Amino acid sequence: MSKIARITAVLIKEIQDIRKNPNILVMYALPVFLTLLWNNIMPGMPPAMALSFGLLFLVVMVGMYVPSMMIAEEKEKKTIEVLLLSPATPAEVIIGKGLLTLLSIILVAFLLMLIAGNQLQGLLTILLATAITSIFAIFLGMIVGLLAKNQMSTGVVGMPVYLLLLIMPQVADIGPEPVQLLANFLPTYHYLLILESALTAAAGPAESLFQLAFIAFSSLIVFLGLLYIYRIKGLKG
Amino acid sequence: MMIEIDSLSKSYNGVRALKGINLKVESGEIFGLLGPNGAGKTTTIRLLTGQLRPDSGGAKIFSRDVFQEREEILKNLGVVPEETNLYERLTILQNLKFFCRLYQVDYARIEEYLEMVGLLAEQDRQVKNLSRGMKQKVLLIRALLHDPEVLFLDEPTSGLDPGSASVIHRILQDLNREGMTVLLTSHNMEEVDKLCHRVAFLNQGQLVEQGIPRDLKLRHSRQQIRIVYQEQEKIREELLDIQGKESAEFIADLITEGRLQAIHSQEPTLADIFVEITGRELD
Repeated sequence: MSKIARITAVLIKEIQDIRKNPNILVMYALPVFLTLLWNNIMPGMPPAMALSFGLLFLVVMVGMYVPSMMIAEEKEKKTIEVLLLSPATPAEVIIGKGLLTLLSIILVAFLLMLIAGNQLQGLLTILLATAITSIFAIFLGMIVGLLAKNQMSTGVVGMPVYLLLLIMPQVADIGPEPVQLLANFLPTYHYLLILESALTAAAGPAESLFQLAFIAFSSLIVFLGLLYIYRIKGLKG
Repeated sequence: MMIEIDSLSKSYNGVRALKGINLKVESGEIFGLLGPNGAGKTTTIRLLTGQLRPDSGGAKIFSRDVFQEREEILKNLGVVPEETNLYERLTILQNLKFFCRLYQVDYARIEEYLEMVGLLAEQDRQVKNLSRGMKQKVLLIRALLHDPEVLFLDEPTSGLDPGSASVIHRILQDLNREGMTVLLTSHNMEEVDKLCHRVAFLNQGQLVEQGIPRDLKLRHSRQQIRIVYQEQEKIREELLDIQGKESAEFIADLITEGRLQAIHSQEPTLADIFVEITGRELD
């Protein structure tokens, strides 16, 4: 019970903090703004595509950026030191931060679906895929946070990965063969495929089993990477 | 014995920050670790809180091994770090409630402590808008929320205005009267002299002297007094040995003749003693 209480404590603290953190709020606002933009200013763009790109942006940018910034800031401002002198364990701190990111992504994903005028078509598939891909992005963001010395350097460490995960799936189908080949190894490409079939053909999770399994497997690999980096660097860096 | 340090050594990148120090702090003491920047004070605190692992030697708090039973020790340990590492965007109350939740203690203590330091009316202010002195008081409260038996403070009043420093000193003395053991580091000899029952001088990673401040001053005293007296129309000063018939007769004569103006003890300060031992200034 006390573990849950401490994770909840971290979660509440992060909710209070994030509301006053413009750097992070911008990251939440961007996918909303972009989905609105694609939906209203680019009439030729199918709503499903606008929503897919909005969700992809949300999952990659918020999923990676938020935990990386939260961890890097704790290190930079040395709040992590006092946190680790409290009964909270590093795992509880990390779970609390990750949980906030995951829950907030799911909430914003709902909002994006409303903005895009989606009648909750393929809702279960979209939520499941969004949750699993977010977990992948969150683990990756945590690795960036552990590797970065401060908030500023999260951009330097994370940007190449953000761009790869964000742009490659979008250009995979129109790009040269190597790009298509590489995209097949990216969970975000498979996420886009799931979104496409859920939004255009109301496909259920069973029809996207391979993609879901690929993303889940990728999450496991990244989680193992997170454990390895944590063992080397620790939470204090 | 509340804290025991046994031959503790620590190096960073080949530089020896602590060179086998030995120290004992008794229950109910305020113990001061005095030394200039880079002497090894913060390293000692970090080792005692298990934030660092030593190269050699050991340490015990509550007779428990710091490096084997850290989690148990931390439950009864409060730490005020040198950095003001509060959550700047949160309010004072949000910061303190967060740590109450982590320690699973009642929020009632928050109000009690905020009132004690005069910050109750400021509880909803964001930490980033507080003065250095206010932040230091919040750090102190944060360290006390779980009612620890031992409190570590790393330079608790460094950079504070005299008013805020005085409030911190008063609180530490009150807590100590209630039985709390306090280990503080400082390079402010007046603070240490005022607060501490015993002190230790740390210089370049070594403990060079320790004891009760009064005893240290007596031990390093030159056994002299400076007297100020009147001679015809002029005021004169003279250094006299405090032992001996000659001094006694001279002072007696001045008193009899109504010419004695003042007698000043030539007792060294802790800073003087530090300089005498190490050849270095504290600041």
